[in-house]
Amino acid sequence: MKIKSYSNKVNEISYAYLFISPFFILFSIFQLYPLVWSFVLSFYSWNGLGEKTFIGIGNYIQILNDEMFWKSMSNTALYTIVNVVVVIALAFIQGQLLCSDNLYFRKTTKTLLVLPYVTATVAAGIIFTMLFDMRIGVVNDLLVKLGVQRIPWLISMEWSKIPVMILSIWRNTPWYMLIMMSAFLSIDIHLYEAARIDGANTWQRAISITLPMVAPVLFFCLINITIDSARLFTEPFILTNGGPGSSSLSVVQYLYLNAFTMFKLGYASTIGYVLTFFLVIVSLAYFRNLKKQSGI
Amino acid sequence: MMMYVVRKNLVKISVSLLALICIIFALFPLLWVFLTAFQKSQGGVSFVLSDIIKKGFTFENFTRVTQIIPMGTNFLNSVITSVVGTIATLFFCSLAGFAFSKYTFPGRDGLFLFLILTMIIPPEVSIVPLFVVMRKLGWINSLLSLIVPRAATAVGIFYLRQYTSQFPTELLEQARIDGCKEFSLFIRIVIPGITPALASWGAISLIARWNDFMLPMIFLRSPLKQTLMVAISLLPVSDGLSTPWPVVMAGVATATFPLIIAFILLQKFDIADLMAGSTKG
Repeated sequence: MKIKSYSNKVNEISYAYLFISPFFILFSIFQLYPLVWSFVLSFYSWNGLGEKTFIGIGNYIQILNDEMFWKSMSNTALYTIVNVVVVIALAFIQGQLLCSDNLYFRKTTKTLLVLPYVTATVAAGIIFTMLFDMRIGVVNDLLVKLGVQRIPWLISMEWSKIPVMILSIWRNTPWYMLIMMSAFLSIDIHLYEAARIDGANTWQRAISITLPMVAPVLFFCLINITIDSARLFTEPFILTNGGPGSSSLSVVQYLYLNAFTMFKLGYASTIGYVLTFFLVIVSLAYFRNLKKQSGI
Repeated sequence: MMMYVVRKNLVKISVSLLALICIIFALFPLLWVFLTAFQKSQGGVSFVLSDIIKKGFTFENFTRVTQIIPMGTNFLNSVITSVVGTIATLFFCSLAGFAFSKYTFPGRDGLFLFLILTMIIPPEVSIVPLFVVMRKLGWINSLLSLIVPRAATAVGIFYLRQYTSQFPTELLEQARIDGCKEFSLFIRIVIPGITPALASWGAISLIARWNDFMLPMIFLRSPLKQTLMVAISLLPVSDGLSTPWPVVMAGVATATFPLIIAFILLQKFDIADLMAGSTKG
């Protein structure tokens, strides 16, 4: 009975192709085709209605000298670094917390800590706009009670990035916390017991067992949050609209502005491609690093 | 022994304290929605807790917000987009995940690697041509523009494959011998076998779709076609110069609380196990 007939095998193979085809069809229409077209478009000047004008690498030259673009890039880089460091650190701590035997009401705690993730970024953005308001915001009320001056969070060049970062951290931490938690839970308890018998203290156990055991998950989290942060849009869009000036503008937001407000469609495509270029480099760096670490 | 007990209690107290701080940080903004949305807006909005309690609670903000934006229609649009979108994505992603894990066919590993690599490229890159594609399809102002492109996603296939690959192959072989066709094999045997994974991934997809913002804002231009998130994003500036905060927060509450309540009731969050597991295999 183990031997399958040739026609059966062919039949199965054609079904397999049929089953995976929806993704590849949708991908071709809604991602690949736009992606290729976007590349072509990045060499044109087009306002969406009139004729397209071929300008060669004109857009790419323009982008090199576009101060606003580089400002938005450096803002995004900063958002990404802060997100990677703070979110992963908080997720690690909260994940450990949820695994601790000393925690009461574990399940309730977990549920409550996940709620920011269930809240939409748009909704959270509106809420944070109210909380960080210069005059009526609760954050400034608390600061005044502590004897600190009111801070123009959303309307000054110096401070406008801070609420964007806090919102992004608030919303993203729970997701990574859940992932870290289940990574911790999947570590074999016997490893810790063995280490304890060998005389390792809490810190040594964390460094020599927990970290190496969760390294693949940690790597997964790092690459995920990097790509997600590079695409940051909603937070500055709702909170500050990128301003004042371009002090809190993100790259994707600048792309959106060029495409749907200024109707520079060719230029918007160029921005997208430069962003992708950076993301691919960062991803490759991560992968190389992982390869080195795991000794493949 | 005394020292040990003291230390043990000290650890317990500090763990609870840390948990409490984290919870306050997580819930504080949501608490303010609640306090503001049910506040009477006469006599100015108060942001001081004792004033809010003294003023009493009201539902009038919720009535007012429906006068500013077509909240009911927006709500329905959100429900259709997220529910239909989630069901479609669960079906097509598990189907593909099943094929990738339980069939051997030429180019399988190459195609799967390709699928994973597509996750690196941000979809925003090609937003302009995508908009043109939608316009050609006549899907601007149609919920189809949100449902169809993500009916099968790389990330969904990636995770659900983890579960279908754990499904016992012998069961499939047995059913084939009994004369079960490939598609009914999937419907009748695989799907019931991976319901926990489907529920978890379903919860994630539902949240992502309900909360989605950038693409709905670009594709849905007319107020009656918009989803809730797009509608509430326009609230702060839509009523003349500015809408009073309690009314805005009533909108925010309507948009977020249903999902939060559903989540608390259903407790479907084993998804993280799915994630952590998938990085190992």
